[in-house]
Amino acid sequence: MDPKLTEVSQLFDRFKAALLRNDFDSASNLLSQLKVLLTGFRSLPPLFADTPNAVQELTIARDIYEHAVVLSVKIEDQDAFERDFFQLKPYYTDARNRLPQSPQEYPILGLNLLRLLVQNRIAEFHTELELLSSAALENPCIKHAVELEQSFMEGAYNRVLSARQTVPHETYVYFMDLLAKTIRDEIAGCSEKAYDYLSINDAKQMLLFSSDQELLEYIKEEHSEWEVKNGAVYFQKAKESAPCKEIPSLQLINQTLSYARELERIV
Amino acid sequence: MVATTLVSSAGGMLAMLNESHLALKLHALYNLNNHVDNFWPEISPSVPLIESLYEDEEFDPHQRQLAALLLSKVFYYLGELNDSLSYALGAGPLFDVSEDSDYVHTLLAKAIDEYASFKSKSGESNDESIKVDPRLEAIVERLLDKCIADGKYQQAMGTAIECRRLDKLEEAITKSDNVQGTLSYCIHVSHSFVNLREYRQEVLRLLVKVFQKLPSPDYLSICQCLMFLDEPEGVASILETLLRSENKDDALLALQIAFDLVENEHQAFLLNVIDRLALPKSQLSEPVEPTPSDADSTQNAGVNGPDDVPMTEGESASAVNVPEDPSEKLYAERLNKIKGILSGETSIQLTLQFLYSHNKSDLLILKTIKQSVEMRNSVCHSATIYSNAIMHAGTTVDTFLRENLDWLSRATNWAKFSATAGLGVIHRGHLQQGRSLMAPYLPQGGTGGGGSPYSEGGALYALGLIHANHGEGIKQFLRDSLRSTTVEVIQHGACLGLGLASLGTADEDIYEEIKNVLYTDSAVAGEAAGISMGLLMVGTGSDKANEMLTYAHETQHEKIIRGLALGIALTVYGREEEADTLIEQMTRDQDPILRYGGMYALALAYRGTANNKAIRQLLHFAVSDVSDDVRRTAVLALGFVLYSDPEQTPRIVSLLSESYNPHVRYGAALAVGISCAGTGLSEAISLLEPLTSDVVDFVRQGALIAMAMVMVQISEASDSRVGTFRRQLEKIILDKHEDTMSKMGAILASGILDAGGRNVTIRLLSKTKHDKITAVVGLAVFSQFWYWYPLIYFISLAFSPTALIGLNYDLKSPKFEFLSHAKPSLFEYPKPTTVPTTASTVKLPTAVLSTSAKAKARASKKAEEQKANAEVASGPDSTSAAGKGKSSGEKDGEAMQVDSPAEKKSEPEPSFEFLTNPARVVPAQEKFIKFLQDSRYVPVKLAPLGFVLLKDLRPTEPEVLAITDTPASTTSTAGGSGPGLQSSSSAMAVDEEPQPPQPFEYTS
Repeated sequence: MDPKLTEVSQLFDRFKAALLRNDFDSASNLLSQLKVLLTGFRSLPPLFADTPNAVQELTIARDIYEHAVVLSVKIEDQDAFERDFFQLKPYYTDARNRLPQSPQEYPILGLNLLRLLVQNRIAEFHTELELLSSAALENPCIKHAVELEQSFMEGAYNRVLSARQTVPHETYVYFMDLLAKTIRDEIAGCSEKAYDYLSINDAKQMLLFSSDQELLEYIKEEHSEWEVKNGAVYFQKAKESAPCKEIPSLQLINQTLSYARELERIV
Repeated sequence: MVATTLVSSAGGMLAMLNESHLALKLHALYNLNNHVDNFWPEISPSVPLIESLYEDEEFDPHQRQLAALLLSKVFYYLGELNDSLSYALGAGPLFDVSEDSDYVHTLLAKAIDEYASFKSKSGESNDESIKVDPRLEAIVERLLDKCIADGKYQQAMGTAIECRRLDKLEEAITKSDNVQGTLSYCIHVSHSFVNLREYRQEVLRLLVKVFQKLPSPDYLSICQCLMFLDEPEGVASILETLLRSENKDDALLALQIAFDLVENEHQAFLLNVIDRLALPKSQLSEPVEPTPSDADSTQNAGVNGPDDVPMTEGESASAVNVPEDPSEKLYAERLNKIKGILSGETSIQLTLQFLYSHNKSDLLILKTIKQSVEMRNSVCHSATIYSNAIMHAGTTVDTFLRENLDWLSRATNWAKFSATAGLGVIHRGHLQQGRSLMAPYLPQGGTGGGGSPYSEGGALYALGLIHANHGEGIKQFLRDSLRSTTVEVIQHGACLGLGLASLGTADEDIYEEIKNVLYTDSAVAGEAAGISMGLLMVGTGSDKANEMLTYAHETQHEKIIRGLALGIALTVYGREEEADTLIEQMTRDQDPILRYGGMYALALAYRGTANNKAIRQLLHFAVSDVSDDVRRTAVLALGFVLYSDPEQTPRIVSLLSESYNPHVRYGAALAVGISCAGTGLSEAISLLEPLTSDVVDFVRQGALIAMAMVMVQISEASDSRVGTFRRQLEKIILDKHEDTMSKMGAILASGILDAGGRNVTIRLLSKTKHDKITAVVGLAVFSQFWYWYPLIYFISLAFSPTALIGLNYDLKSPKFEFLSHAKPSLFEYPKPTTVPTTASTVKLPTAVLSTSAKAKARASKKAEEQKANAEVASGPDSTSAAGKGKSSGEKDGEAMQVDSPAEKKSEPEPSFEFLTNPARVVPAQEKFIKFLQDSRYVPVKLAPLGFVLLKDLRPTEPEVLAITDTPASTTSTAGGSGPGLQSSSSAMAVDEEPQPPQPFEYTS
């Protein structure tokens, strides 16, 4: 076996062990070493050189990135998740015909969908969805995300929150927690537009808080422009009438007239 | 095996960029750089990220450069070339100039553009503060070095010129393997693409420097360059070295240079060169008098001319054999020759000989015109006279006038003026006898010789036309005539004549005299004075223009304003940017006539440069000015700006030619006529064709004239539309109901179509692509005929003979043959009109015959008388005998020429023909001309047209000189000034005799 490949697989074993131990610091360190080592393989994307060990190399690289994604979820680092996911993606898409399918593929894709939902990037969510095959859509991991999105769009926020209990994979929990916050932000945004003010109690109920304290803290952190007085939350300040844009009529008239003049002159 | 897997997205690589580890970023950058061609849309949102990588100081330089290269490529794909370029500069050596990709090509072009614009900006403002980015400079230099190393010298030179890197230009030229070739390419480039006059001069100066460093300098090119630079000293010293050389070939080269210089018609410059040529150290016994001012010396030359013919070999032999004081004597002899050439006399005389001996004008056309034109219609009457003059320009054949004296006498007043002036066109270049020819018409020193002022004025104008641009000898006479008269018609003629004779000499005294005429504020004289001042000051760009402008504002006469406006325009001839202030001033004037002058100023200042700014300005005026005159002139002026690039003109004016405004259409027609003159360009003909049947009469006139200018010397075999056009002209002339204006156009057009005995073309550029100042000025003033018909004669200045005249060391044309590798029918003379007309107009020929028979009888009677006179007057019989001998010789030649085409009819046409020196070679034929391998004579310079000096490879054998007819005319006229006129006519009459059989040969 290729010495480089051996080195990588040994390192990968240590990384997996660290991950199991939940020793995240050493796992991150090992991961970045692994990634650097991977750059030495010419068979990996985007080069896809036809080396003798291509299949092994691709497989191990895919494994590494899959674990990297899991690690990023565990350390609750969304940026790292995105990074690792994108690096992983070519193994799923471009190398599909060279490798057997990975068991982790659908959970990770579903995870990514969930992430997009959390970050409220609905457009990208649907783009990703379009790229999936119909078989993939049947997978519970994916289905879960799709249903969530539908509920989310319908405004059935309670269904979204209750879905936390039915997660198909343990890594999903982190995102489900975040999703609750996303939903709260949505509700806050809608209330702002819909009401001039809300009583504290109503607001609490609406924003799914259990205590006034939490509500006030939330307002302080996220919506400092809201005003709390007389036992009610006033959204008034946020409503600023945007100035209407004026039609540049005079300029248009002038232009048209000058065109007409020029036309007359033209040969 | 699995097929190679393709990457479908750059997402992974982009994600990798965000990794914290440096090696990963580098890896990502590297991969992105390789895949950017496919994934730039995906990368473009991440540009800020990559930018931050590029700006990251911690990164090592290589990585930063890689980032810059990637950015540059992304920006290139986004179409942001400026950003792309600036990052490419940041990429330093990673930006590989030799890479063969669109990206690199585009960016290099951009870099060069950028650099060139920087350089030209700093060059224009002379401001050193504008610092060019050194990295940019480095890239361009790298590119230039690469070009030079790869042997792409032309690219390197073009770029170097564009970027004002004369050092690189020099390097490119000197390193190239074919220095001569590259140099001539460079000269060509600098003329056609360098727009700034000053910079062009810099380039040329450099070229001269390089030229001189060469082991065997190409003196021909050097002298051309020096002429553009206006450095007569340089030319004079080169000529002197060559003349002093022991080698006869060098002397031949010097003579050839002189001919080439003369072709550019830069009178003032040539005079300067003559002045600077050193005199031989020991004065020779016979006086060296190069200027034709001295009538005696020229007469002597004329007499000596024929005598020299048998003696020349002996002379040259003695020069070789007798070594006493050889170098000085040789030098003096050669100097004499070269001065003759430089003063233009030699070439004019040879041209005259050629045009006279090869005259193929078709008198029948004229007769048809004459018959069909109504007597009382004075416009058509004088148009016929103009047409005759143009048809015979420079041939000295005035048979038509002499045969139709009665008819001619119907011309009164100004028609008389132009009829007389027409003689000047016919005898153009007849420097020696010009004055004696015109003598009967000239003002007779105050005694009132009986002539009307109109014919006297016309005669003075004619003298100017004869001596146009070579007026050293006649200037004084014209000045005297101008001074001694107060009749405005004579003043008019004298002013025009003086202007023509002293074209471009900027003589202060003459200027003052003409100015005095101007200040008399007489409309007729003032107009001519205005034009004349312009002619005198052509291309000087002197401040006299302001003086003229002031007077134009003061005077009330439109004619004077118009004359002055044109005059001012002439002063800025070829000054390009220098003229901008004046042009601005004129084009903004309240007076439409001055704006009209402004158009001419634009046309002449930017003549033949195809300068975009000038074209834009002209097009603007063509569509926006309120005055029709200005609009017409603006369009017409386009023709002058674009004549160096005739293919462009039809395209640019095609829209204007469909304008609703007839003036603009007229202008478009003439613009095409001027810029495509003599080219026979197919697009030009297609554009003009519909205009020849326009609804407005003067548009038809313009279109017919323009068409004739385009088709001059194009044979029917090469473009069938020529024949159609000839028939159209005939139809218009014969049509009783045609408008006078278009009829006049048709008459003039038939004159131009067969101009100069069918041996001249209209040419605004010399062989070296230099503008021919006389020709351009001639056409500019000619286009003024809209207001003043006599100015039509100025078109004769634009005629240049299409001949190859081979000359030996003694400036005689030896008999030798060369090959024209094309079907003879492509370039032959049009057939005489009799054949096609006999069927359609049966009556006409009979009518023609009866009158001409009478005229001929009269002429021959007169001729006998004159001959007797001449014999009495001039003792030696040899003169008339020689004349007869020559004419009989010609008769044989004629018969042979008639025979050969008849024989050819049965056989298939050969694909080549032999021409005998001197021969007619039309411009389109140039590329087919080849010199024979085993010929006795070898040309000094490979040139298919014009004067070519021949090296004699077998100098010991006796030379056979080609028979030319000038000796006949010169000897017969040498007898005296008075009978000279008539005796030359006798020669003509004798010539006329053998012609009638011609048609019979064809019909049988």
